[in-house]
Order: sequence, then C-alpha cells, then structure tokens
Amino acid sequence: MLALIYFIVLAVIAVGSAICVLLAKHPLYGALSLILSMLSMAGIYGLLGSPFMGVVQIMVYAGAIVMLLTFVIMVLNAGKDNNTPRFDKVSLFVVPAVVVLCGLVGFVLVRAPLAFDATTIRGSVKFTSETLFNMAQNGPGYFVLFEVLGLLLLSSMAAAVLMAKKRLGSEVSEKEGK
Amino acid sequence: MDIIESKSWVEWLITIAKFAFCFVPVLYILLLIPMERRGAGFMQDRQGPNRSYIKFPIFGRVRLFGYVQNMCDGTKLFFKEMFAPKGSSKFLYYLGPAIPFAIVFLSPCVIPWFGPMAFEWGGKAVKISGSILDSDVGILLLFGLSSLSAYGAVLSGWASKSKYSYLGSLRTSAMTVSYEVCQGLSMMGLLVLAGSFNLTDIVSWQEHHVWGIVAQPVAFFCFLIATIAETGRAPFDVAEGEPELVAGYHTEYGAMQFGMFYMGEYAHICIASFLVATLFLGGYSVPFVTTETMQAHMGGSLTVLCGILAFLALAFLHMVHRYSKKLALSKQSNKMVILQEYKLYNLVGGIAAVVFIAAAICAWMFYTPEVAYTASGANTLATALGTAVIHLLVLVIKSVMFCWVWIWVRWTLPRFRYDHVMHLGWKIILNIAILNLIVTAVIAKLVGGSN
Repeated sequence: MLALIYFIVLAVIAVGSAICVLLAKHPLYGALSLILSMLSMAGIYGLLGSPFMGVVQIMVYAGAIVMLLTFVIMVLNAGKDNNTPRFDKVSLFVVPAVVVLCGLVGFVLVRAPLAFDATTIRGSVKFTSETLFNMAQNGPGYFVLFEVLGLLLLSSMAAAVLMAKKRLGSEVSEKEGK
Repeated sequence: MDIIESKSWVEWLITIAKFAFCFVPVLYILLLIPMERRGAGFMQDRQGPNRSYIKFPIFGRVRLFGYVQNMCDGTKLFFKEMFAPKGSSKFLYYLGPAIPFAIVFLSPCVIPWFGPMAFEWGGKAVKISGSILDSDVGILLLFGLSSLSAYGAVLSGWASKSKYSYLGSLRTSAMTVSYEVCQGLSMMGLLVLAGSFNLTDIVSWQEHHVWGIVAQPVAFFCFLIATIAETGRAPFDVAEGEPELVAGYHTEYGAMQFGMFYMGEYAHICIASFLVATLFLGGYSVPFVTTETMQAHMGGSLTVLCGILAFLALAFLHMVHRYSKKLALSKQSNKMVILQEYKLYNLVGGIAAVVFIAAAICAWMFYTPEVAYTASGANTLATALGTAVIHLLVLVIKSVMFCWVWIWVRWTLPRFRYDHVMHLGWKIILNIAILNLIVTAVIAKLVGGSN
C-alpha cells in the first residue's frame, strides 16, 4: 500500500517532468526537468528493489552527464526560443506513432501475464556483480560485452584527445601563434 | 499495519530517534564557524572574533571565547533583505542556494553512527543498524548526492546574470566533476579489501583487521586531497579567486541566500570529515578494542569514558586558570571584566569534572559485567545503549580532528592556480588512484583467494 502511494507520486513526477522537457522553451529548464525525471526514475528503481541501479542513475546520469549538458547550454548561452513553432508538419507523423506505441504497450500488457518472481530480477550489488562477471563456461557471458564497451569508451576518449591535439598543432593555430 | 506491530516500542523509539542524526551537520556548522575563525586567528597570530557579549547578572559580560560573535553574525544575516538582480531568472536564482543546503540533510543517512545494536527485549532478539538507512549501496548513495550538490553552484552562477558569477560557477563545477572521479577511484581499493559498499561492513572490516589508513595509505592521501577539493575550500577555492573573480558564484547573493552557501560549505566539511573518519580511521570503532571485548567489560568501558571526559573538563579548568593568571598580571584595561567572566567557566568546568568523576566511580562500582547479559547470552538494552554512546563519541572525536585538518590546510597553503588544480586532478591523483586500485586488486586476489 505504502509502496503503491510512493510509486504513484514518483511516476507522476517522472512523467510530468518528461513532458516538461518537451514543452520547455528554454533549454536549461528542459535539462533541469530531465534531471527531475531521472531522479524520480531512480526512486522507482529503489522501490523495485534494485537500489544499485537507482544510485547509478543518480551518479552517472543526473550527476555527470546532465551536468555536462547544462554546462554546454550555459557555455553556448542559449536563450528562450520563441520563434520555433511547437507544432508543425512533422508533428503530424509523431502523433500517430505515439498512439501506435501506446496501443502496442497496452496490447502486450493485456496479453502477457504480469506475474514474475521478484527475487530473480532484483538488482542488488551482489546479484548484479555475480551476473555481470560470471566467467563460467555456460554463463551468460556479459563480461565480454563489459570489456568491449570499456574498450569502445577508451578508444572514443583517445580519439577525442587526439582531435583536440590536432587542432592545437594545425596550421591555422600556428599562424596565429606567429 | 503488520509493519508497525512487527516491532516493539523500544525498537520504534530508537529507529525514529536515529533521524535526529540528520541534524548533525547543522550542529557542526555551529561548531565549525567559530572554530574556523578562532583557528584563523591562532594561525595568523592575531585575536579571533571576541567583541560581542551577553550580559549576565553576576558574571558580567560573557563572550564564550568569541562564540557570541557568530550568533550576532547569524542574526544579522537572517534579518537582512533578500533581493534578486534585475534580469536574473528568479526561480533558479532562489533555487540555487537551496540545493546544496537540502542535500546536507540527506547525506548523513548512510553514515553508521554506532555499531549495529543487538539486544533482547521482551523475549525477542532485536537488531537495529547504526545508520539511518542500512543499504547495500551506502557509499554510492553518498557520492550520488554529493555530485548533485554541484547543481547549486551551476544554477546560481547562471541565474545571477553576472559575468563574475558565471565564470566562478563554470570553474567550480568543472573542478567538482573532475575531482569526483578521483574521489571515487581512490576509495575503491578499500572497497575491494572490505568487499562491500555498505559502510557498516567497511567499519567492521577495519575493526577486525586494520584501519584503512594503514591498509591503504596512498588512497588515504588521494582521498583527502580530492575531498578537500570537493568541498571547494582553499587551496582549491578556484571559484572565488579574489584577484580575478570577486566571490565566485555567490557574488550576487546577500543575506540568508549567501548564508545558505556559507552553511552548506561547512556542512559539507562535516560530512566529508565523517566520511574520511569512517572510511580510513575505523569509523565508530574504538582503537585496539573490538566491540565484543568492550561489551564484555561494559562497566570498565564506561569508567574509562567518564574518566576521559573528566580529564577534558580538568584540562579546560587548567586552561582557564592559566589564562586568568596571565590576565591578572597584565595591564589590560578590561581585565576585571574578563576575570569576572572566567568565574562562570570555572564554575561550569568544576561541576562537569565532579559529575564525570562521580559517574566514573558509579560505573565502576555498580555496573558489573554480569549485568551486561541476559540469561540467553544476548546483550541487555543498557549495554547496547552504552556501546552506542561510546561509539558515537569516538566517531565525533575522530571527525572533529579531521575538521581541524580542513581549517589547518586552508590557512596554511596558498590558493592553486586553475590549471594547476586541473593538472593535479587529472594527471597526478587520478593516475595514482588507478595504480593503487590495480595493485590492491592484485594483492587481494593473491592473498585473499577467489574474492
């Protein structure tokens, strides 16, 4: 009962702030509503019994990624946008897509049984780490994906550093230096 | 409502009383602001704030070693007018200072204030955790919350519509984000050793093995530097370099809005020092004594505790005595007033010393170890509470010591230049932390086996 009340409050905040992201005319307010949406999502993860996911959501998304996003918005000094119309010809295609998606989700929810074993999907730290780093021969093999993702991120970081370096040593900057 | 009936009333009382620990950072603000001002005076060989006083009937002007001055400053800040600069976005401008201050109340929830209390009540075994929220992800939650507090600086700097605030907030948030990485990585080694994110587990690991500062000395220094940077104080206060940026992101703020930033900074120091004490100094655990030993000799432990408090009271009396002797010989014009004030301190210190000595004797005489256990061998409620009090006092002493480290560093080292700060963070501390983590992981694997 108590969990249901918490869930309704969090869900209303999450959906409301997600709508605010779409409707906000100022990009900074949009980013802030995105954070609010993410925080309430973290609360919902906690209610589902996987606090690890919730905390990672706060740390990584709200704390780091959207922080960088607000950073970019601030540096670009974006202002309130009153010129772009809220609805144009493209929105005509968006509305049926949303309706179809709602229909699909409703169909799935009605057809599939909602009963599941909560203990098997819970994302406590122990369960997550045991699943992720299970190196047994017949295990799920998630650790390979994990390593590949790590390498991918590392290579993209190295590429970003290289590109930034190139700009410094390019002809234009050297000419300016003289 | 079976969740309410499943616990006895004592359990509920203790569980609810634990929420009072949310206000510990706020109490520390009251302690830290005078401590910093007196400390600054001490370091720079000048007098600290000591002009304000309260007039008492017999003892005259009581200044409480300058503590009254801070009450006056607080009152002044509280009653000043709040205003917003023209053209600023009002909502974000007023929201900015509230964010770091709100997080102050949330952060203490995962710090273990005392060991898990296990006692028998009404024929049932009761177990109460030492932290408000006994979670698997304890320390991660703390880091998540502290990463959110940077939004206060970002939003207030942007909303003030001032170039000084804007540059200050950019610099602060860049520094906070980069040092968060170092902070997280440097304590990972300890987590590998303890094998848990739960702070209570980490402390009990330290209690039964060695303190974190012995097991991970390199990580301790990395963590300390990163945490000082995280609180945004000198030598890392790049937000408010006076030569180039007036006062950083809070240039435009006045009155209690500024007060909230100010108090948020000190509360952040409080939480950070509790964190350092918990992670690297054994938290609530008493040095060289495990909780089990302490509970087996409860009467003796209480005697030692009261003895230490009595010693502190006597040391205070001695300090006042030395001050008044020096004053009586000097030629200060207001020395009679001050000597009158010192009579109050003598009275308070004397009463405290007598009370503590009496309590120590009582504990020794009347609290025998046999009383500490029930028939089935579990602790009694009195033993559990006594253990909790001793644990709490030990943790507070450790954290106050670290608060002094913060003040000491601030008034000793000059401010770093911005590029030096970034260089230190990304090229030195981060690499040392990663190396430390790898070495720790390899050693833990070789020594500890499959973990």
